Amino acid sequence: MTTAKGAADSRGGFLHWLLQDTMDGLRRRRAILGYLFLLPTLLGIFVFTAGPVFVSFGLSLFRWNIFRPPDYIELANYERLIGDVRIAISFGNTLKFTVLAVATQVSIGLILALAVHRISNTAMRYYFRTTFFLPLLMSGAAVAVVMGYIFHKEFGPLNYYLGLMGVQQIPWKTSADWVMVTIVITSAWRNLGFTFILFIGGLSNISQEVLDAADVDGAQGFRRLWSVTIPLLSPQILFATVTGVIGAIQVFEEPFIMTRGGPGNASRTAVMVMYEHAFKDIEYGYGSAIAVVLFLVIMAFTATQMWMSRRWVFYQ
Amino acid sequence: MTANAIRNPGEVSALEHQRQVLMHRAGKIVPVVLLFLLSMVVIAPVVWTISTSLRKGTESFTVPPRWLPTDMAVENYEQVFKKVPFGRQIINSTLITWGTVIGQLISASLAGYAFARLEFRGRDALFWIVLATMMIPIQAVVIPVFIFLRNLGLVDTLWSLILPAVPTAFGTFLLRQYFLTVPIELEEAGLMDGVNQWQLFYRIYLPLVKPGMAVLAVLSFNFHWNEFFRPLIFLIDNDNFPITLGIFQLQGYMMTGAIAVVLAGVVMSLVPVTIIYLFGQRYLIEGIMRGAIKG
Amino acid sequence: MSADKKMSRRDLLKLAGVGSAGLVMSGLPVTVVAQDAVTIKVQAHGLDDNQLLPIADLLVAKHPHVSVDWVVLTGIDHEEVAAKILALVAAGESIDVGYAATEATQLFAGQGLAAPLDDRITGDADQDFWTDYFADVHPSLVEAMMYEGSLYEPPRDFNAANMYFNTNTLAENGFDVPGPDWTKDDFVEIARGITKKDDSGNTDVFGYAWINRLWGSWMPWIFVAGGNLYTEERAPGGNWCWDGYYEGDPAVEGRGGGFRWRTPIANSDEVVEALQLVVDLWQEGVTPDIEMGSGATLTGFYATGKLGMTPAGGFWAGRLKNEGMEKGDFDVQLWPAWRNQKHQFGTGGHWLAKGAKAPEEGWEFMKIEVSREGFEASPFFYPVIITTSARRSYSQAANYESTGPANYEVFYDTLDKHPSTSPIPAPPWANPMTTIFTTGTSNAMSGAMSPQDALDQMQSELEALTARQPQYYADN
Repeated sequence: MTTAKGAADSRGGFLHWLLQDTMDGLRRRRAILGYLFLLPTLLGIFVFTAGPVFVSFGLSLFRWNIFRPPDYIELANYERLIGDVRIAISFGNTLKFTVLAVATQVSIGLILALAVHRISNTAMRYYFRTTFFLPLLMSGAAVAVVMGYIFHKEFGPLNYYLGLMGVQQIPWKTSADWVMVTIVITSAWRNLGFTFILFIGGLSNISQEVLDAADVDGAQGFRRLWSVTIPLLSPQILFATVTGVIGAIQVFEEPFIMTRGGPGNASRTAVMVMYEHAFKDIEYGYGSAIAVVLFLVIMAFTATQMWMSRRWVFYQ
Repeated sequence: MTANAIRNPGEVSALEHQRQVLMHRAGKIVPVVLLFLLSMVVIAPVVWTISTSLRKGTESFTVPPRWLPTDMAVENYEQVFKKVPFGRQIINSTLITWGTVIGQLISASLAGYAFARLEFRGRDALFWIVLATMMIPIQAVVIPVFIFLRNLGLVDTLWSLILPAVPTAFGTFLLRQYFLTVPIELEEAGLMDGVNQWQLFYRIYLPLVKPGMAVLAVLSFNFHWNEFFRPLIFLIDNDNFPITLGIFQLQGYMMTGAIAVVLAGVVMSLVPVTIIYLFGQRYLIEGIMRGAIKG
Repeated sequence: MSADKKMSRRDLLKLAGVGSAGLVMSGLPVTVVAQDAVTIKVQAHGLDDNQLLPIADLLVAKHPHVSVDWVVLTGIDHEEVAAKILALVAAGESIDVGYAATEATQLFAGQGLAAPLDDRITGDADQDFWTDYFADVHPSLVEAMMYEGSLYEPPRDFNAANMYFNTNTLAENGFDVPGPDWTKDDFVEIARGITKKDDSGNTDVFGYAWINRLWGSWMPWIFVAGGNLYTEERAPGGNWCWDGYYEGDPAVEGRGGGFRWRTPIANSDEVVEALQLVVDLWQEGVTPDIEMGSGATLTGFYATGKLGMTPAGGFWAGRLKNEGMEKGDFDVQLWPAWRNQKHQFGTGGHWLAKGAKAPEEGWEFMKIEVSREGFEASPFFYPVIITTSARRSYSQAANYESTGPANYEVFYDTLDKHPSTSPIPAPPWANPMTTIFTTGTSNAMSGAMSPQDALDQMQSELEALTARQPQYYADN
């Protein structure tokens, strides 16, 4: 009884301390509330994102397929990784894809936005905005499925129309020279909506005064575009590039569904080899080593971009 | 120059004037025509998808492609439900997506409010940590997460997709921005009226960040409805699949599935996101401009 | 919550599907349940209707206390389905009865997921059942289901790589369906003869096409050229079966306890020659571009009458029928002879999980499936053939009545008349091996590498892969 009473007392003391009707009490209550409110998010991020980064690294030091006990093999997975042709090609493909896809979707998105922004007719603007945005609503998987048929060498509508223009059937998905172009077009077709809308938004935020001032200074046409509009859009361009790069490095659905990584390894990407090793061959250790390298590459890319952005991004 | 032409209305300069007007018009029209042609190219795969989904199976491979769905072969749509448990997969997609969206709205509004309006030790450090995790791609952690979900017995259940997606660094960041825009005077007025801390959050702040929640909901819906990679790994039994995997399955063993049926599945998968676009495009676009990295 | 959901789904299935079927078949209301109810989890294929339902009905009719819960899995090819089973078991879910083709048989046996069946068979009180079964099943199929001396699956179906012809295309160009002793050179002549190109050099009608995968693909050419991906060694053992059920059958001579594929020979001259043959046909425009695991081209070509020949087994008959081809539009023949006429096949059946919760009931399911009753009820073999029956009795005229082909006898003759016919190589590491094989294939078939270079790379990848494996094959 006495211990229970003591506990009640101390709880009362705590409650008293917390519920004190003073500024300190209020501050304490708000601080406790802050921690409580953060709890689900912090716990979830720790368990499902931040923690697993370290677990990935730990797993990469083992050979493990769940059915047999794990073997601690130190850095052997990384040594294997260095000598693995498939890995080298897949990371190379990912890099190639990233550069091409980001360049395509940022530049075309920008050109489209500049063109549509000049249109004053509301109905037409709405039409273009909807059309260019529409593909973004589709899943990467659905896009890959559809484009897989569109790009079919013999039956695809695309080669049919090119044929009318006298172009020989292009082996879009079956030639090592073409397949990356095909994957880039497929991915850019979908992501164009994102960059387009982003730049349209950026353009409408540029104040007319700034543009008028540029006119007074005699900057018109391409000069105005180059020296005024684009610098003013640089935050959006940076953002489109950063998100584009992060997304492109993770490319998976398009090659996985359209080409299974082929022909040969020509469209196999970093995430695909990780998936194949971890979830098809059940090599969790080796798969984790690939994941760790992928993680480091993304970190390095993002850091570089952020550093470079300080030199040219202009905030209005 | 135009002014010059008016001042000297000679025959030559009148022609010159006409030429300039034409050039000016052409300068406006040519880009629009080009844009229009380009928009046709962009929209063509969607139109082809819809029309081919309504054509007889044997016609799918015929060239030249036909753009009008003259067969109106709605049986392709019935076939989708026979080939794969599509009805069940629609329910799965709906549960996964709404489960995630609602979970994110709750967790992110709590965390966003805490970061924006509450003061406590370590707040800024925690905020930067949360922000930094936005850069960790799912692929980098999918193996440990799979093993962890397995230990929880959640692999091959819808929870395997919902639970890890509920804590959202992006959503927290987004809603924090919205909470920051709420004038602090409202809080002071509320405290004068004697509302407690929970009521302050729930009654005063939350209604004011509804637009932000709508942005988060729309972006998150679009992202998770379309998700492919995590379901591919965390789900095993066909009956637990969302429709993104269902469409992939429709391609069939050795990808011999009928094209028209696969495309009918694609068209059906587009319905919810299109509805969301029609009613929530304002939020969708606002979300993109605010820096949508991931849902 | 999701566990509840699963329960309710299972209950629903039990009540609505299997339960009512049992009720109908037994003709009695299910009021008295003598034994405790048992549910077995059986892997089913996920597209179209579940063809195993009639087997479940038979099981429930015989044992009303059993019900079947399906684990429905799909994949583009066998290795993908196998990966899902591995994920399922890795995720801690239990399964009683799984399905595997040759591609994954040693994988599941080698990982210790499947249980050996030798004692169950030899110890079965109903020996007549097994005598009848084995007498009806070619021993090469049985041997292909063995691993290190033990049998892991009683074969249910198999598909040997035979050559399919579009008879109309052949006839238009003055060719008859060749006889069983035709050769590689005959094949090349026909393939070139039926290929048609338009003015711009695009091929309109292709002589020959195939899918890039382990089974079929160009693997049959490797076999008839006298090569393989791995040396074919045989594990000792299996005599309990050969002596016990095949006594006096000359076809069991030299058989052992399952194959050991452990020395890669992927860049031997024979394999290079075989690859050169198919690459040449592609470069001539006789063969279309080969996509990774994609049969869309084949179906499309067939549907539009643009393809003359393709490798396939019995399963293709039903597929073509569903594509709208009539009986007589196509026919089949043995693979052409080259240095030899050694054919290749893959076989499939159900395996019993080592960790099965209800092994007895699972085993009962497997027995019913391979019984005569089971074959007669199974939609796999009648009316529209879905795959070739492993039992000779169900690869007969009646089974091909609605689909053709006229030469259906070729399917079982591949085994009966050519006892050297053997399974596609599929060691316990068949999954990564298949990735290496299909990648190397398309390296050559896209012109990115010469056949020799592609196969040299394949060989070194296979050597590295094999060296990494734990010891799956005991050394005598």
